[in-house]
Amino acid sequence: MLDRIITTLLENQNSDGGWGALRGKRSNTESTALAVTALKALPENAEEKRQRGIDWLLRRQNQDHSWPLNATAKVGSWTTALAITALSDNAANSERALAAARWLLEQEGSKPGILAEIILWATGKSKVNKLDKDLIGWSWVPNSFSWVEPTSYALIALKKLRARLAGTNVDERIRQGDAMIYDRMCDGGGWNYGNSKVLDYALWPYPDMTAVALIATQDHARETANQESLQVLSKIARATDSGLALCWAAVCLNVYGQDNSDFQRQIEKRFAAAAFLGETKSLALAVIALGGKVNPFRI
Amino acid sequence: MMMRRREFLQYTALGSLGTTLAACQSSARWQREAFRKKAGSRVAILAAKAYDQPLTDVIMRGIKLCALQVPGKRIVLKPNLVEFDPKGVINTNPAVIEAAIDAFRTLGAAEVIVAEGPGHRRDNEYLLSASGLYDVIREHKVRYVDLNTDDVRATAVRSSYTSFKQLYLPETLFNADLLVSMPKLKTHHWAGVTLSMKNLFGIIPGAVYGWPKNILHWQGIDNSILDINSSLPLPQFAIVDGIVGMEGNGPLQGQAKTAGVLIFGDDFVAVDASAARLMKLEPRQVNHLAKADAFLGNLAHEKIAQIGEKLENYQQDFEIIDSLKNLKNITG
Repeated sequence: MLDRIITTLLENQNSDGGWGALRGKRSNTESTALAVTALKALPENAEEKRQRGIDWLLRRQNQDHSWPLNATAKVGSWTTALAITALSDNAANSERALAAARWLLEQEGSKPGILAEIILWATGKSKVNKLDKDLIGWSWVPNSFSWVEPTSYALIALKKLRARLAGTNVDERIRQGDAMIYDRMCDGGGWNYGNSKVLDYALWPYPDMTAVALIATQDHARETANQESLQVLSKIARATDSGLALCWAAVCLNVYGQDNSDFQRQIEKRFAAAAFLGETKSLALAVIALGGKVNPFRI
Repeated sequence: MMMRRREFLQYTALGSLGTTLAACQSSARWQREAFRKKAGSRVAILAAKAYDQPLTDVIMRGIKLCALQVPGKRIVLKPNLVEFDPKGVINTNPAVIEAAIDAFRTLGAAEVIVAEGPGHRRDNEYLLSASGLYDVIREHKVRYVDLNTDDVRATAVRSSYTSFKQLYLPETLFNADLLVSMPKLKTHHWAGVTLSMKNLFGIIPGAVYGWPKNILHWQGIDNSILDINSSLPLPQFAIVDGIVGMEGNGPLQGQAKTAGVLIFGDDFVAVDASAARLMKLEPRQVNHLAKADAFLGNLAHEKIAQIGEKLENYQQDFEIIDSLKNLKNITG
């Protein structure tokens, strides 16, 4: 099964060396970075194709060292963190990754402005969310609020390069990013996209978000929050018919040194059933979850 | 004594300042020559008692009553598939989507595509499987497009309620002939209602704007609805799933409310105004509908020809959250 998944992933590669969200879609940074990261876990396989993916990433890096989403939406984007992770272990390009990490350190999620605060208070909506808005992480879009997924990707990238970022504010950004992730945790463990509660209604944890947040905070593995969330992840991912959720869960359990063989079997079943809808992202994560001799998300 | 919020609004300049600013800016927020509202609009309300009854004929009748031209067209069906809760009624029911696929194909569409960019979840495979839509698209061999990760093209925003000068929209929309918004009949705890106009938040690509499309909330939900709807690159049609709707704390945590109808029309403002009236909510109290009435479509009852069933016969008293009680001030 792994061979079929690898083959499908490689077939999704475009002639320009990058990967799109699906076969035939234009190359984008998220898909290409995840594909390059996945192929890194299989060093004896497809080295030429992986190198073409790296070359695509290097060609697409902006002047300010960030990465855009794609050739159309050119401003520095949340996908920069994924590109850094893809290149961080690559000696030949680690300076490019390091420069991008410095760009990432300059990016901050925004707080609501004073006018927005007044309007929210006046309309009775100031306490709709249960979160500490003063904790700054990373946003999807520049100058907007911090969310769990982009913050997690940024933490993974920065923690990988932390030792080489001495003399910057990396320690403080990581400390506050970690705090933001824990602040957004659902009651009982796990993560929704960014709020644990809206209008007094408790939101439920998503398996993919929970796995990504746990990977980002793997250096706090023994914390009660991590242990509770791991249990939640095992439960909710098992009940989810989704290659994406199962792959993230398997990668996460592997990072935490736990047995993920049940999830690996489920991943194979999902691929047999729906081929992950052909999505490059899930295919790449499946390669890591099923076949990786190394887990590139381990910090 | 603590000042109440209402008192705060009354006694500070904020409320009046906002109104004054809005009045001053309204004329500059859309180009008069770019939008020509029709003198009158047509909305069809057709009875549909349950999802397990034959719906294809109902949808074909609704399309014909609205004189929609289908033959040879590439049609994008955009359901509301924002999240899944097995205990809830969040999404457009797959039976309605299936019937729409059948109907448009029977009427001669060149291609029918189902497309959505879920606002809360990135996980398409989960949403499609859990909601039952995956079985529909597989059985009918329909192309499904994840609008969150589709290729994108920049398009100029044709009104200026947000600070967006351009929007990145999915390439699929530019390559189609008709966009069919297929919302669920629901109340919404921020926007008042979520119908064919609000449903188009789902065409905004998450890969560019993030999840849960929060940048649109920062720009103001009503403002974003207006700018998205004013900037669509293709003709539109609406089919509202009102067989079972949602009342209360929508769009996710409300309660099921049976209304037993499907609502059709090519003027989203008129369709949504009619749907609001069906829920016994005043469309003029729904911010985005009141503003859209100025340039996007017809809200006034007398400018909407109701065809099919009589709206009054299917009106249901949909509950709303306390902060939106003004929507119950019916003015006609």
